[in-house]
Amino acid sequence: MNADIRAITIFTTLAALAATAVMLVPGVAIAWLLARRQFPGKSLVETAVSLPLVMPPVATGLILLWLFGRRGPLGALLARAGIEIVFTPAAVVMAMAVMGLPLLVRTARAGFEQVTRRYEQIAETLGAGPWRVFSTITLPLASRNILAGAMLGFSRALGEFGATIVVAGSIPGRTRTLAVGIYSFTETGQDRQAAILLAISIAIAFVAVLASNRLARER
Amino acid sequence: MLAEGVDAQAPSQKPQAAASREVVVSAAVSLSDVLQQLAHTYQARTGERVVLNLGPSNTLARQVAAGARVDLFISADEAQMDVAASDLVPGTRVNLLSNQLAIAVPDDRPRRLASPRDLADPAFARIAIGDPAAVPAGVYAKQYLQMIGIWPAVEKKLIPAGSVRLALAAVENGAADAAIVYHTDVATASHAREAFVVPVASGPPIAYPAAVVRTGANPEGAKRLLAFLQGRDAMAVFTRAGFLAPAVREK
Amino acid sequence: MAAFDLDFELHQGDFTLDFQVRVEGRAVALFGPSGSGKTSVLEVIAGLRAPRRGHVIVNGHVLFDSERHINMPVRQRRTGYVPQDILLFPHLNVRDNVTYGVREGTRPDLRVLVDLLELAALMDRRVASLSGGERQRVAMARALYSRPDVLLLDEPLAAVDLPRRRRIVDALLGIRDELSVPLIYVTHLPEEALSVADWTVLIDNGRVVTSGPPSEVMPSMNR
Repeated sequence: MNADIRAITIFTTLAALAATAVMLVPGVAIAWLLARRQFPGKSLVETAVSLPLVMPPVATGLILLWLFGRRGPLGALLARAGIEIVFTPAAVVMAMAVMGLPLLVRTARAGFEQVTRRYEQIAETLGAGPWRVFSTITLPLASRNILAGAMLGFSRALGEFGATIVVAGSIPGRTRTLAVGIYSFTETGQDRQAAILLAISIAIAFVAVLASNRLARER
Repeated sequence: MLAEGVDAQAPSQKPQAAASREVVVSAAVSLSDVLQQLAHTYQARTGERVVLNLGPSNTLARQVAAGARVDLFISADEAQMDVAASDLVPGTRVNLLSNQLAIAVPDDRPRRLASPRDLADPAFARIAIGDPAAVPAGVYAKQYLQMIGIWPAVEKKLIPAGSVRLALAAVENGAADAAIVYHTDVATASHAREAFVVPVASGPPIAYPAAVVRTGANPEGAKRLLAFLQGRDAMAVFTRAGFLAPAVREK
Repeated sequence: MAAFDLDFELHQGDFTLDFQVRVEGRAVALFGPSGSGKTSVLEVIAGLRAPRRGHVIVNGHVLFDSERHINMPVRQRRTGYVPQDILLFPHLNVRDNVTYGVREGTRPDLRVLVDLLELAALMDRRVASLSGGERQRVAMARALYSRPDVLLLDEPLAAVDLPRRRRIVDALLGIRDELSVPLIYVTHLPEEALSVADWTVLIDNGRVVTSGPPSEVMPSMNR
């Protein structure tokens, strides 16, 4: 295999794994909140989390660019600390995490909703505090769905293009992912390279989604 | 073959670390091949690394406007360069290249085009162009069709594609009967032929402006690279790839 | 022996439960037809539901008082609860289910429970492999392990087939007498009410019809 193609594949996989790790705790926390709690502004949170799923990815990318560009609200703060995100691998991970999060939240939320509250109530009668109930009862019983959601988020991260190219650019060796690579090769007439990357993307995504569906179904 | 023109960098390296020895260039995708060659040459000659960020011009312009650390911006039309106008170093904006439009047709149904106005003929049921709302090549295509007076006749037959490359692909797989693309694009096509090349005098003025970006980390490096790209050796590479020397314009 | 001072009003849709019982006893049976509100009484005592108004006092501990705005959280109430559908934690084995509820300051004696409820052979089994009677006993052990002040059971014999009911009744008697844990249990079977309880409360359609020692209350049922 071409060394560059191998490098792109490895980079994309690592970035997607990092993105999955980044979205895991916030995603599970949000999913639990949405499943278990009522609070003012809940529907706003639900909508906000779903947005990357329904908006064109480029639009999401533009929002991230505005936020984290050196003139944007968050970017300016980070720049003062000497941190730049746009055009770095960190931007790739961030774009992937933002696009994958809604899928994780949806699946994990369904998982929590499936865990009947009555188990949690029993645990409370046995003297368990909220954190113990969550970590020993709710989380284990929802773990299959959470894992399935993480794999779905991972697959989405892997195939992410629209937001990535806007906020991370297409810099070979630094921010060029499989999806962005396919685009670049196609645009420059290197169809064979594009086809190879395409095949790799499909293979990885196929395995990840298959595993995710298996996990979610068994119960 | 992916001649990068850069050493493949480890993804963890931050731009600041090599800021003084590298030049970050945002360039329109249509220039990918030729710029990669030139970047390779430039690095061999001067030791300065060139990092290419290739993408659609409108996205690149937005990135510059958001303050991305880019040193040199090469756009596929003036309009997108104008979007980034306030972020450019004054006096550095030049017209780097020009190009010609061409009409491509599928190679299994080759047509002779006596005149570009033949596109109005019902035999050309679908004509692919870059999206005139978003893509420079599409803007030029629309201008050209207006210039030769057949825009009202063909407007309904047009398939706006997301990029000029996709317009060409539509012709290659038979989804379109013709496409208006750049002369430089048809060379890369495997299943399309050039049926007509638009002479420079009769076509819209195509410009690839280049400018040094104010917020880059290495403006001096950008100026040096730009000078190189305007030099004779670089122009030889450009013209070999089918690009044209820049039209003389007042700007 | 425990002192129960229960007086509350619970609303649920169209249904209203109006419950008053003040009694001291070792085992109280709540007897009545299905839909009479018996399960809700247990849920109120456990804290899983809050009444609209009233008070719940067990052994002098105020668990709920609407006038004084007291509503003790479930986990502090020290009430063991065995629901009708038992609800053993499916992802834990028997041992981990039983030993789940450790409260501070108590070192419960597992062996006593295991002996009384005959769980020795079951400890490493998965919950899914247990029979109805076995689950019932495990659930009782789980509730008892946390050293509750009162054990609440909803239809403890419902999940158990006829021949094995004796075992459960013996277990209840053992809990009442050897472990000295007060019981409140819900039943719709007269013999259950008679065999274990020293006080029976008759509920119908959300109201207490009568309450007293089983010998007095139950014969009035035989029409």
